[in-house]
Amino acid sequence: MKRSLVRRPAAAVLALAFTLAATACAADDGSDGGSTKGAIKVGSINGITGLFQTPEVPQAVKAVFDEVNAAGGINGRKLELISKDDAMNPQRSTENEVELVQSKGVVALVGSSSAVDCGVNRAAYKTAKIVSIPAVGVDPACFNSPDIAPVNPGPFKLLTAMLYYASETLHHDKVCLYYTTLPGSGGGISDAIKEWETLTGKQLAAKDTAVGEGDPTPHLIAAKQAGCQAVLYNAQVGPWFAQAQTQGMQNVDFIMGANSYTDANAKLVPSGMRAYVGTEWQPYTDTTLPGNGRWAELMDKRGIQRTAFSQGAVMAADVFVQVLKGMKGDITRKTVTEAFKKMSPIEYPMVGSPWVFGPGDKHNPVQGSRFVKAVDGKWQVLPEGFIVPGKK
Amino acid sequence: MLNSVIAGLSSGGGYALLGLCVVLTYRLVAVVNFAMAAVGAMGAFTMVSLTDDGLNVWPALFLGVAVSAALSGVLGALLIRWFGEHNERTKAAVTVAVYVAVMAVGLRLFGATSTGARRFPAPFDGAVFRIGDVVVSWAVVVSLAFAVAITVGVEVMLRRTLVGLRLQALSERPGTAQVVGISAPRLATAVWVAIGALTALVIILVAPRLGGDFSTLGKLIVTALAVAMVGGFRNLPLTLGGGLLLGCLEGVSASLSEVREYRGVIPFLVILVLLWWRSRHEVWDTAHSR
Repeated sequence: MKRSLVRRPAAAVLALAFTLAATACAADDGSDGGSTKGAIKVGSINGITGLFQTPEVPQAVKAVFDEVNAAGGINGRKLELISKDDAMNPQRSTENEVELVQSKGVVALVGSSSAVDCGVNRAAYKTAKIVSIPAVGVDPACFNSPDIAPVNPGPFKLLTAMLYYASETLHHDKVCLYYTTLPGSGGGISDAIKEWETLTGKQLAAKDTAVGEGDPTPHLIAAKQAGCQAVLYNAQVGPWFAQAQTQGMQNVDFIMGANSYTDANAKLVPSGMRAYVGTEWQPYTDTTLPGNGRWAELMDKRGIQRTAFSQGAVMAADVFVQVLKGMKGDITRKTVTEAFKKMSPIEYPMVGSPWVFGPGDKHNPVQGSRFVKAVDGKWQVLPEGFIVPGKK
Repeated sequence: MLNSVIAGLSSGGGYALLGLCVVLTYRLVAVVNFAMAAVGAMGAFTMVSLTDDGLNVWPALFLGVAVSAALSGVLGALLIRWFGEHNERTKAAVTVAVYVAVMAVGLRLFGATSTGARRFPAPFDGAVFRIGDVVVSWAVVVSLAFAVAITVGVEVMLRRTLVGLRLQALSERPGTAQVVGISAPRLATAVWVAIGALTALVIILVAPRLGGDFSTLGKLIVTALAVAMVGGFRNLPLTLGGGLLLGCLEGVSASLSEVREYRGVIPFLVILVLLWWRSRHEVWDTAHSR
């Protein structure tokens, strides 16, 4: 008993000494991202498990980095991707940020694809003066933070494009919105609608932002009674279209968000129903589209699933590499951040507008959407090209 | 307004069926089973995966129901063997743990919301009649008929048959039931197996209207528990009524723009008020009896 009491303070001192030593070692190793030699460490926070799963994203970023490394790297230095799974758990996302930014000393975050990363880590990225280029920006914080610039239009710019497509391309006067609103997204949705109203001078015929899980029939009946010609929709595909078919809504154009653009969902649209999806990149189901060839070849070569998310991953990695190749001198967190804030726009064929990071307080550089239609259980690319609101 | 009530009523049959499964489990084996819908979803997804692979719908349905029955049977056997002497709260806690595990495994096996969405066979999608703007399909009629059949059938079985009597004895006094010669573990396991099979059938029936992916179907337990509460986890006809009421309330709240934003909450608030209204005398009596 006595011995253990004596040992306790000693153990505490020893533990403190270890902690201090470890901290000192980490600083020497470049924990502030100031390393000028060895591999260029790049972080990424992805949803690998949990409800929002994008396991192909870090694989696709790594595939691009491996290509660059095989060709000699950046100024002779290899790119090293360190991907962490946050399982859509805010606590784990924060722990990932601490490990990547503070312990591993990454120079930037590239190709993140987490539903919670931007929201919980934006303040930490600002403090660390580090930039993040997510492959898939999900929550509003991804599009209104000074240190984050995703390579996808995101749900709000996409919504404006979908409304614009319904009213200006399909020429409908009665456009309706039946949406599920995630917490914190209401303002973004209102702003997107306002942008469309300003551009077109039109108003929504019906708006319901409280569509949840459960039987969609009451919402469909409301849409029928409002005389909707086009319905914008972002929730579950199967029950919605099954009930719309039962309710005889074959003459309505249903336009869904990019979250519905999966092979599984194409099979859920009953024949005779008109279902469109607004995509964020060139539709991934057609490899002949500009920018898709290289991506598809790379995915097939590495055995990675071809999805819209892996397109975002390749684009995020490509723009990162392009900016780094244009840098002169040391590649550290500080110089990388400076390079992104001062960069020139990059024309990337997979999206509707040039991508740029820039010095602003918020970033949503990619605009516009390309539309696909469900035909016989598959998505068919429509010929109009990218629909960028306000751009004829 | 009538359109909204009819539209809501159409989903009420499905909600009632889910609530009835919860009440049945509680009445027969005295467990509030949080894993019920997830176990049913396992069977439903087994079936739909097999039909996607080209298997005929009938053998696929049989195998799917068998998977849920087996899973439910294993859960029941586990509860009987290891937690037989524990109180209801502990047993409910065990089913919560099983719910989390089954959901995690199901998501892994069958995918998340968009990638794992499946088209369930919907043989009852045809229209029967039209009221105002609402087309009422056979699925609605079948759900309601199934719910009424369970309510009446189980009441008759419990009151008029020997098996029913034994089951009641088992749920209310398992120890005494065993002393008088009823093979409690075997009978209870059989009940778990039967409820697993029934749940799978219910989930397959409601999937085209209420789900489509594993996560949504597994989470239907929340609605099922709310409906079961209306019947006090005991009264089958009240549970049936609770399901229909929940459907109607959902329909009405979706049609009123002032309360639409709170559509998900309103039915549950109304149920809470109903429960309070019904139990206010019980609380008064209980307070006096102490």
